Amino acid sequence: MEPIEIRFSGSGGQGLQLCAKILSLALNLENLRVAFSQSYEPTSRGGVSRSDLVVDDITPDYPLVTKLDYLVVLDQLSVGISNGLLNKDSVVLADKQLVSEPPKGEFDIHSLPFVEQAIQLGNKRVANIIALGALISIGNIVKFETLVEAVKAGVPPRFLDLNIDAVNTGYRMVTSPGVQLEEIKSS
Amino acid sequence: MASKYQLVNLQGNHACALGAVAAGCRFFAGYPITPSSEIAERMALELPRIGGVFIQMEDEIASMGAVLGASMGGLKSMTATSGPGFSLKQEHLGYGAGAEIPCVIANVMRGGPSTGMPTRPSQGDIMQSRWGTHGDHATIVLAPASVKEVFDETRRAFALSEKFRVPVIVLYDEVIGHLVETIELPKPEECEQVERKWADSDKKTFKPYAETDDLVPPMARPGDGYRVHTTGLTHAEDGFPTQDPETVVRVTQRILGKLEKHADEIASYEEVDCKDADTVIVAIGISARAANQAIRQARKKGGKVGLFRPITLWPFPEKPFKQAVQKAKTVIVPEMNAGQLALEIERLCQSEQIVERLNRIDGEALEPGEILQKIGEAQ
Repeated sequence: MEPIEIRFSGSGGQGLQLCAKILSLALNLENLRVAFSQSYEPTSRGGVSRSDLVVDDITPDYPLVTKLDYLVVLDQLSVGISNGLLNKDSVVLADKQLVSEPPKGEFDIHSLPFVEQAIQLGNKRVANIIALGALISIGNIVKFETLVEAVKAGVPPRFLDLNIDAVNTGYRMVTSPGVQLEEIKSS
Repeated sequence: MASKYQLVNLQGNHACALGAVAAGCRFFAGYPITPSSEIAERMALELPRIGGVFIQMEDEIASMGAVLGASMGGLKSMTATSGPGFSLKQEHLGYGAGAEIPCVIANVMRGGPSTGMPTRPSQGDIMQSRWGTHGDHATIVLAPASVKEVFDETRRAFALSEKFRVPVIVLYDEVIGHLVETIELPKPEECEQVERKWADSDKKTFKPYAETDDLVPPMARPGDGYRVHTTGLTHAEDGFPTQDPETVVRVTQRILGKLEKHADEIASYEEVDCKDADTVIVAIGISARAANQAIRQARKKGGKVGLFRPITLWPFPEKPFKQAVQKAKTVIVPEMNAGQLALEIERLCQSEQIVERLNRIDGEALEPGEILQKIGEAQ
């Protein structure tokens, strides 16, 4: 296969690494391999942060991203760092509220209410998992059921229900826009 | 059937720690330093579980001293550091080379000189890892380029160190150190452990540095009752200091000769598409990973390009390198420093190939595109 390059970017503390970690688990479950790198600076609270995945069925030649297939942007701060890595085949998912000026170009861009929906679910911090659900819905990178398995394995048990709701919310946000949160919670 | 391997997403620095444990390392002394700290962190978790010892020492110098002491005490021992700490360890590293004490030092390279750029990658210690400590000395330097290879080469570092009584340095850049890759991790019980040669000869006539066929004298196990003297001073076969010119030449040549004698066993390298290559790239670590992608792209366009990647960086695998560049007109050396590996390659190529340098010193990793462009310019 041709390697797939995915970036989660935003500000430190938004759970970008957790996103990459959970998606890595899901990819492993489907027998795919990852090379996972991240910004390595003191950015745990605020500041530009990113987590990158290069996905392949073997260990990729070059483990760092060079041309993004998928970019998730959760904060305006981080838009600039992906300049030059996007092309016409890239797919960009940006938070509607926190990214007022998403990257501009010929690529597909989806401006979606990750943070807004997270607040409605009762915790702003699951915006990352909502974005992950939406990414899988748009990108078809792994099966949704596999992603749910990985979420179960990758989040603390006491936050499991919230995260399952979040990943469902993200997925439905794309497949059936306008769906009510109550419906997702009960499903 | 249960798989022999477990598939895990593992960080390079954690792979170093797990490789060490799998090799039988039971002593770690260190002082945390970016970007190597995860090695110490993981060792602090792993070693107490298996009866090993982890000590956070007061500084880098003391860490290296503790490692030498623990190894003389009979344990497989290691430390981990980065450029500034590696500088501090050099005196003890020389002691280890001179007194022939097996030990492993992981050096995760960051920008330098001095405290430089702690969080940024570099390959600036290529020459220091060979010539950092003073005097003619024997060391081995291994340069892994992936998480799996960090695991394997750390294991090999212990094997070589124990077998040849020599400090072995595992050298990789921050990118490889912090990279997480999906790898097949062998179970510890599947990993072969190499033990040093212990003395079992007559105690009365035992000489701790006697010349042997393989040029590696057996070590006296503490408590076995052998009389041993260890010193950093140039010493004769009995271990006591000497300045007798003939003896000095003899004992020094043995120490240097032990690596030459076993050069083929120590050498390790990867060769990709070199057979018909008119352009060969020589690189280590993340630069080699970039080169790998670059040559693949160049081949698609019909370019005859290959990669020679020394996994044993020092002693440099001269013979296989010369073989690999036989048909080459140009050798490109991409590295994240101002030109260090290039010095060795220029020495080896003489006038037979044109050596092109490609250097990056801005604290960023070399990218395949830059190498591809250089290939284009060279052809």
